[in-house]
Amino acid sequence: METFFHILRYKILSFLKTTFDRKAVTAVRGIGSLVVFGGFALSAYVLSFAITKYLVPKVGLAVFHHLVSMMLFVLFVSVNMGNIIVSYATLYKSPEVGYLFTKPVSFEQIFVLKFLDNFLYSSTTFFLLVFMALLGYGTYVQYQWYTYIILLMFVFTPFLFLSACLGVLILMSLVKVASRVGFRKVVAGLSVVYIAAIALFFKFSSPITMLEGASKLRLGEESAFDVFQIPALALLPNTIASTVLFHLSSGHILDSFLSAAILFLMTTAMFAVVLYVGRKYYYRTWLMTFEFQARSNTVEAGRKVKKFDFRTESRLPAQMEVLVKKEYFLFRREASQWLHLALMLVLVAVFAASIVNVNLRLRVTEVQTLGYLILYAFGGFLSCSLALRFVFPAISLEGNSFWTQLSAPLNMKKPYFLKFALGFVLVLAPALLVAVFSNIPFVRISQRRPLLLYFGVFSAVWVSVTLVSLNLGLGSFFANYKEKNPIRLASSQGATLTFLMSLVYLFALVSVFIIPLTEYFQSLFQILPFDMSAIVAPGTTLYMLSAALSVFALMIGYRSLQRDF
Amino acid sequence: MIELRNVTKKFGNFTAVDGISLTVPAGEFFGFLGPNGAGKTTTIKMMAGLFAPTGGEILINGFDVVQNPIQAKSFTSYVPDQPFLYDKLTGREFLYFIGGLYKMEKKEVARKIVEVIEHFEIGEWVDKRTEDYSQGMRQRVTIAAALVHEPKVLIIDEPMVGLDPRSAKIVRETLHKMAGSGVSIFMSTHSLPMAEELCDRVGFIKDGRLVFLGTQENLQAYKQKYDGKFESVFLELTK
Repeated sequence: METFFHILRYKILSFLKTTFDRKAVTAVRGIGSLVVFGGFALSAYVLSFAITKYLVPKVGLAVFHHLVSMMLFVLFVSVNMGNIIVSYATLYKSPEVGYLFTKPVSFEQIFVLKFLDNFLYSSTTFFLLVFMALLGYGTYVQYQWYTYIILLMFVFTPFLFLSACLGVLILMSLVKVASRVGFRKVVAGLSVVYIAAIALFFKFSSPITMLEGASKLRLGEESAFDVFQIPALALLPNTIASTVLFHLSSGHILDSFLSAAILFLMTTAMFAVVLYVGRKYYYRTWLMTFEFQARSNTVEAGRKVKKFDFRTESRLPAQMEVLVKKEYFLFRREASQWLHLALMLVLVAVFAASIVNVNLRLRVTEVQTLGYLILYAFGGFLSCSLALRFVFPAISLEGNSFWTQLSAPLNMKKPYFLKFALGFVLVLAPALLVAVFSNIPFVRISQRRPLLLYFGVFSAVWVSVTLVSLNLGLGSFFANYKEKNPIRLASSQGATLTFLMSLVYLFALVSVFIIPLTEYFQSLFQILPFDMSAIVAPGTTLYMLSAALSVFALMIGYRSLQRDF
Repeated sequence: MIELRNVTKKFGNFTAVDGISLTVPAGEFFGFLGPNGAGKTTTIKMMAGLFAPTGGEILINGFDVVQNPIQAKSFTSYVPDQPFLYDKLTGREFLYFIGGLYKMEKKEVARKIVEVIEHFEIGEWVDKRTEDYSQGMRQRVTIAAALVHEPKVLIIDEPMVGLDPRSAKIVRETLHKMAGSGVSIFMSTHSLPMAEELCDRVGFIKDGRLVFLGTQENLQAYKQKYDGKFESVFLELTK
């Protein structure tokens, strides 16, 4: 253990020295981060408090906690999937691992170090989000101050840790299986399993069915909680965590303690399994990844001329042609890039397919407005995530090889514009899909008036422009050419700052449209005329501000390309 | 032709390059020497357009690198001290990429690539992705890429790092031939025998200042002041 803590000490020292140096730029960035993080934390708190205050009296404590359970499920899956992809880079691709393997350090210690590194690096923002949301919720249900500490330590840390443990276990199994059946088959299999799991979860626990059931049954809180508890899902970590919260809010401390103990034990057991598997298979699977690389990088494969190839003619001007081809090949040949995109797109498709047939029977203005805004915010959040994951790292991923472009007779506006265009397409396509499919049920209840559909599509385009500009610009400003891992880049300090700014933007967008949308649904249900200026006026102002933000971010990014390399 | 006029580069309070002025005419092979951290790479990066000078001017064939970067760079090829390539591209794809950046016609690029692949003897592995290349293989591809568009000015930083003796010989002969055909070569090196063998003129830099600038004849005369060895001149000038 002495070696373990020795390495850990130097890792912490290295982190502190690079994060808190005495440069003025770092201080300014630090203050900026603090302001944005503070703003984000405050927004998350206010939003959580407002939602709790709005929903609990309307749907009851029991249904509210089942809705919380669904949100926790999404969080669990996000952390889990994120950890699978990040772990591949930290456990198998990091040069540090190769270096440590040449030293007298046990495989198990290296594994635990990289696992913790990975967990802390990728879950910090989630912790902040969970804590502030908990604070907002706790203010409403009047928690004591120590309750937050207990919940964070014994419920939410084990919850996130369990998700990360599961992610690493899945990853190591994948590497082992892939050595026998091939990488692509394993990835396809994993995608099917995830889609099936998500689809099954929401089939068993549909929020709309639950809301409708709650309004019909009119049960007491305890009975309602039990009625909507699905036995098959009772032992899922999200169900256990929401059960802890429900029992605490209902004053049943012992029940709450028992549920927390189950979660804690599950996490401890899972960590023990991870340690065992890590000790036994980490080094072996690490070696296997080299075999994959060797198998996929052959002279024969490189000699084949394909239709889309550097050797084939193109109608594009020479510089643009090679830039496009370079972008394509770098993306296609980096598994962590296309794999992550494919998974995200599949989830979007599943979501779009399931939302399009939702029957919105409740003709209640508040419910429809809230439903619409949740879907609108989801679409925005999806765009934020895609832009952060694929656009923010775009400049940094040029890496040290960027000298080729910077020393060539190339106007840097060309690669910059190309990255913007590609990022825009990548963010816009799923955003449009979600916008169209999530608006169809609302168009249906609006007697086929397509106003909301137009609004959704226009928003998707505009939001995509703004988010891509923000992420490309700030990604260039915070460029780190030494980091090759796109996921680490997307979870760096600069990326988190950008993401929080994107969320603030999204929050502003949602807030601005609350009143116009309420008026729209009111006019719809009371069969009154709707004044279009109610939606056009705030929309125009906001989009003008978005345009200014986009231009500002793009200019900052472009100027950053002129810095010393 | 390369002209450096009172070129200065500061990083905060630290002056890395301090008022360097020199000219490398067409067809001259110029050797740039100095101890580690003297300012060689900083000077070269300013010439390649990767660093902006704090003061002074750098002209490539009459075009200012800062004011007219596109024109200046169109004459130049730069070979960095660390041969960073795009890991996921093959060596051949990298050569096509560079040719495209210099706006070459596809047929012309293809012809030049066949030529450099043969010349640098890299055909056996050039179609593998560069992620599996050794340092020397990367260096050979980088130097080959610098020659694809037939530059008028070659800026080359430590060209022999990682090269095996055979590849080093090919590179030495190629550079010599290029200078003979009218290309201005600005080469930073730690290899004293190479500078002595190839360079028409040499400059020594120390603490960002040019402490010696002269022809091979000047250098030979200077050597005689000591024990006749280039190494002694280097040690004395960079003391």
